[in-house]
Amino acid sequence: MELFRALAVLAEPPRAETTRLADLLELGRAPTPDEYTELFLFQLYPYASVYLGPEGMLGGEARDRVAGFWRALGEVPPTEPDHLAVLLALYARLADAERGEPDPTRRSACRRARAALLWEHLLSWLPVYLSKLIEIAPPPYASWGRLLDGTLAAEAKSIPPPARLPLQLREAPALSNPRIDDLDTYLSELLAPVRSGVIVTRADLARAARALALGLRTGERRFVLQSLVNQDARGMIDWLGREVTAWGERHAAWEDYLGGISRFWAQRAQHTADTLQTLCREESGSRAVG
Amino acid sequence: MSKLHELNERVLAAREEVERRGETFYPGPSRIHLASFPPKERWDDWIELDSRAWPQRVEHRYMLVPTTCFNCESACGLLAYVDRESGQVRKFEGNPEHPGSRGRNCAKGPATLNQITDPDRILYPLKRAGKRGEGRWVQVSWNEALEDIAGRIRKAIQEDRHNEVMYHVGRSGEDGYTERILAAWGVDGHNSHTNVCSSSARAGYQWWMGLYRPSPVFANERVIVLVSAHLETGHYFNPHAQRVVEAKKNGAKLIVFDTRLSNTATHADHWLASYPGSEAAIFLAVANHLIRHNLYNREFVRRWWNWEEYLEADHPDLDRTFENFERVLKEIYREYTFEFAARESGIDADVLRQIADIVATAGTRLATHNWRSAGAGNRGGWQVARTLFLLNALMGAIATEGGTYPSAWNKFVPKPIYTPPHPKVWNDLTWPIEYPLAMNELSFLLPHFLKTGRGRLDVYFTRVYNPVWTNPDGFSWIDMLTDETLVGLHVALTPTWNETAYFADYVLPMGLGSERHDLHSYETHNAQWIAFRQPVLRAMRERLGERVTDTREVNPGEVWEENEFWIDLTWRIDPDGSLGIRKFVESKERPGEKLGIDEYYAYAFEHSVPGLPERAAAEGLTPLEYMRRYGAFEVQAGIGAIYEQEVPRDDLEDVREDRFGRIYTSVPQPQSPNIAPQAAPEPDADGRRPVGVTVDGKILRGFPTPSGRLEFYSHTLAEWGWAEYALPTYIKSHVHPDYLDHDQMVLISTFRLPVHIHTRSANSKWLDEIAHTNPLWIHPTDAARVGVRTGQLVRVETEIGHFVVKAWVTEGIRPGVVACSHHMGRWKLTGDGQRQLMATVDLQQHGSERGIKRQRGAGPYPSSDPDTLRIWWKDVGVHQNLTFPVHPDPISGQHCWHQAVRVRTAGPGDAYGDIAVDVAKSHEVYEKWLAMARGAERHSPDRTRRPFWLMRPLKPAKEFFRLPDTPEPATHGAK
Repeated sequence: MELFRALAVLAEPPRAETTRLADLLELGRAPTPDEYTELFLFQLYPYASVYLGPEGMLGGEARDRVAGFWRALGEVPPTEPDHLAVLLALYARLADAERGEPDPTRRSACRRARAALLWEHLLSWLPVYLSKLIEIAPPPYASWGRLLDGTLAAEAKSIPPPARLPLQLREAPALSNPRIDDLDTYLSELLAPVRSGVIVTRADLARAARALALGLRTGERRFVLQSLVNQDARGMIDWLGREVTAWGERHAAWEDYLGGISRFWAQRAQHTADTLQTLCREESGSRAVG
Repeated sequence: MSKLHELNERVLAAREEVERRGETFYPGPSRIHLASFPPKERWDDWIELDSRAWPQRVEHRYMLVPTTCFNCESACGLLAYVDRESGQVRKFEGNPEHPGSRGRNCAKGPATLNQITDPDRILYPLKRAGKRGEGRWVQVSWNEALEDIAGRIRKAIQEDRHNEVMYHVGRSGEDGYTERILAAWGVDGHNSHTNVCSSSARAGYQWWMGLYRPSPVFANERVIVLVSAHLETGHYFNPHAQRVVEAKKNGAKLIVFDTRLSNTATHADHWLASYPGSEAAIFLAVANHLIRHNLYNREFVRRWWNWEEYLEADHPDLDRTFENFERVLKEIYREYTFEFAARESGIDADVLRQIADIVATAGTRLATHNWRSAGAGNRGGWQVARTLFLLNALMGAIATEGGTYPSAWNKFVPKPIYTPPHPKVWNDLTWPIEYPLAMNELSFLLPHFLKTGRGRLDVYFTRVYNPVWTNPDGFSWIDMLTDETLVGLHVALTPTWNETAYFADYVLPMGLGSERHDLHSYETHNAQWIAFRQPVLRAMRERLGERVTDTREVNPGEVWEENEFWIDLTWRIDPDGSLGIRKFVESKERPGEKLGIDEYYAYAFEHSVPGLPERAAAEGLTPLEYMRRYGAFEVQAGIGAIYEQEVPRDDLEDVREDRFGRIYTSVPQPQSPNIAPQAAPEPDADGRRPVGVTVDGKILRGFPTPSGRLEFYSHTLAEWGWAEYALPTYIKSHVHPDYLDHDQMVLISTFRLPVHIHTRSANSKWLDEIAHTNPLWIHPTDAARVGVRTGQLVRVETEIGHFVVKAWVTEGIRPGVVACSHHMGRWKLTGDGQRQLMATVDLQQHGSERGIKRQRGAGPYPSSDPDTLRIWWKDVGVHQNLTFPVHPDPISGQHCWHQAVRVRTAGPGDAYGDIAVDVAKSHEVYEKWLAMARGAERHSPDRTRRPFWLMRPLKPAKEFFRLPDTPEPATHGAK
């Protein structure tokens, strides 16, 4: 499981050791600090809670659930228990513990813990996250993302999924019905992947602005999205609809090894696509009335 | 082989190869590991950008050299960042290789930088020019000072005046080096500060288990009970606090007994501001609850308590069955109800019941700790630690995961190159006949002993110690030090000016944490480790290929280190070896030459630290090089319950068993590389040594007590005149309400400020800026009664005088109690001294009356450090300890710090910082407390001065335990 540990380190800011690891993992070259910053600090925040929490933000109940997993292992949760690097390193450690455990009962317990971590806190969001990362990341990180994706897929095939969906997904509320007079709430929820089934990055919003020839204002994603919608509501909703439809197709591709998780994300994306259509109709109606 | 498998194997192989070289494969990512530290293979050439040069990229190249902090006793690891160009230390950070502190430090560690660059520090040997205390000094050479001091010591030894040589140490920060030097001289001259510090707590633990410190395994507890402000300022507080916090994160409940709302109390799940001195009553009520409701670990008590010995002594009419003992046990503590404890402590009985219920849930995961606090404050304070540990003993939470370990099992002291024999002399000035059971030297009574003609001192060393300021009754110390008929020569070994050094004949500059060698090990968690303090510039130069044989070559000015100093002084005392002293400081590699520091430590690391030579060899280093490079080594982790280990068959020969199961053997004590101190139970009448104890038919190692078990009943206490305290019980404090007048309150004076450490930190500008005064904590109801508001002056009257201080009205203190930290109130008589944190004062004297009048506080001044012009504070607090008389506990010998005081608004003639004391009254109080003692001359059962099995620093040879009028050898187990 050294591979997991090495992949974990690459989710941390690049240091001198990163070059050696990039070489060993055949990433082409080592990522640079500015590439790290752009990817992990501005585009794709590497925290489970951002993708599994109903607010799409750091922390909250989603992070508490991850912290609870650490505590269930008898460990003190680290300051950021749901950081990708921490979770991957923990997975490597559990795998090592399982391999080094002579007692069959305890070894079985280690394996159950590893399975829980894999299905509950890694596979519940990482395939979605990595799919976006591979799309937008510079070459070394894109290679890293593909390698991690493949490694997770191999693990998923070797450890059977639990009977039920991960709690993080079961408990995740869906996107509320859109109302043209309360668009802010809807747009906020749209940026919470577990509700909407899609990941919308800063880069995506910049792409939308370019495509629709709109002004891109600087700020947090919600603010940017609101300003784009304010400039061209129909155009933006239409653009979002196309994005969401594409996400639905991506989710379906993981069905063979993610099963229910894949279907969950696909359904969320489909629901979002439906709500966007509703919103589009409302928007057309309000314009007709106006 | 799949591609993923191939990659996995490739990374694994690369990691193994890199780590085989002793290097770090992965960086220390902040999220994956504890913290981010420079990888150790890059410590030789570590590059950082100069933050002050921003936006330019200016690189600094450092060599990172480990050492340990010399401020408090924890000895946390430091990494000195030595600039490779300038050869100067630029900063100190944590050493991640240190098993105790794990790379983390409190404020005092990095502030070492302030201390080494302090413009007011002492850089050269000084000799007084005028009268003692006059403040006139001349610089002298080390040679002149050493010849003078060595000559006097040599003469004293030759004239059989061994007891006129005394070494008085604060926190030693090393494990026995100087004790061995004194043993080499053949003098019983070790005098420690411990009886103004932790003796009572030590005594409480020693009576139970023959080991004198608690080592709670904080990270894995279910319940933690602290009788202290341990999280912020206690003993080993940084190593312990980080583990307590981990335990809390894991769900442990933290119960804190502290009369003040300290930072520690703010982190507690349950904070109990009990009346000072009532703690033992509470613990006994908890114990009573556990016993009466059968909530204790019955099997552990049956196996490990010396209940049979107790039944025979106190209930000879009963059969010695455990069932009978349990019936008796239920009666012993029957009177300690929650209601009784509530009356004593002022805490509601229901709250106490709740605490007891929590303790009951702990099982063997109960960690408890008392070191100073209530133990140090009260007469009978040693019963606080003893009754607290009773809870561990009831729950079986001793040397268990999450329980409390005996100290010596979590400590490793390597056997050194020489171990001189026990001195053949007994010093009554430090171990007086009145206190045969004292835990440590009666150091704070020294002025009274000299004043009453018990002896004199020809050469008196104070070593990084400041009794004038630290001890109670400081004016008596000044009187003693200024009387040359009582103290012939006073040598102050100190890095900085202090109140005691003003009254010295020689002030000799000693190194700070990065300028000296020391080796130490402390009980911070369930492991044994050693850490190495070293002069970092010496280590740096040696790493660059230079050879340094004298630390003065690299230290600032002529600052030396003590190890080399003591070797040199010892050599000069016996230059031709005729006194039999020189051989203990002679090189084994180069006979006839002085022992060098490298040889001294290399010997210990090569011969006495299991695993270190192998670990060093794996990195191509010698053990000494390894310690110089990494600064620490973990000898063993996960020690386990040693008392449960079976005694090996090879240790059992010609075995005898006494009627309580104590096992004696004729097999000599095997040599151990670990010489961590512990009690030494006596051999049997035929000289067989105690080796174990029979428990359920097996011979187990047990504890180093006379019985080999946990001594719920102390035969020693009963035999030596204190039968009423043979069991853990409650002793009413000298500040119990029964003994206070209606207008008196209790003053708590023992608490520290989190960023300071007694005398040692006054030369740290960062720390001084954070904390520089000590107002009197007073509850609003008391403030209203006294008629004082925050910032107004109050006069605090003790038995022998008064001090004038500012009030701080706060609900963070129990009504009826006031508190003032002892960390402040530093003073100087002249321009010399630590100007950042010392007021300039006048000393006053009229007959037996003494006083201090403050001339001015701190203020800005020009120096080599531009920051001294930015000093904005004037107030440096008040020196309250001067107004306290001595209160020696009749059993432990600990000074009982709490004071019964009257607090009034200051009068028109009072000024901030005023001190007034009548030393005649202080002597009367001394005599009153002395009369409470039960001396060996009347109470010794065997005509010895002290039970031989008890621990004692620098233990004299056994025959010198005999009372002066007793020619025959002691009757106990003659060898």
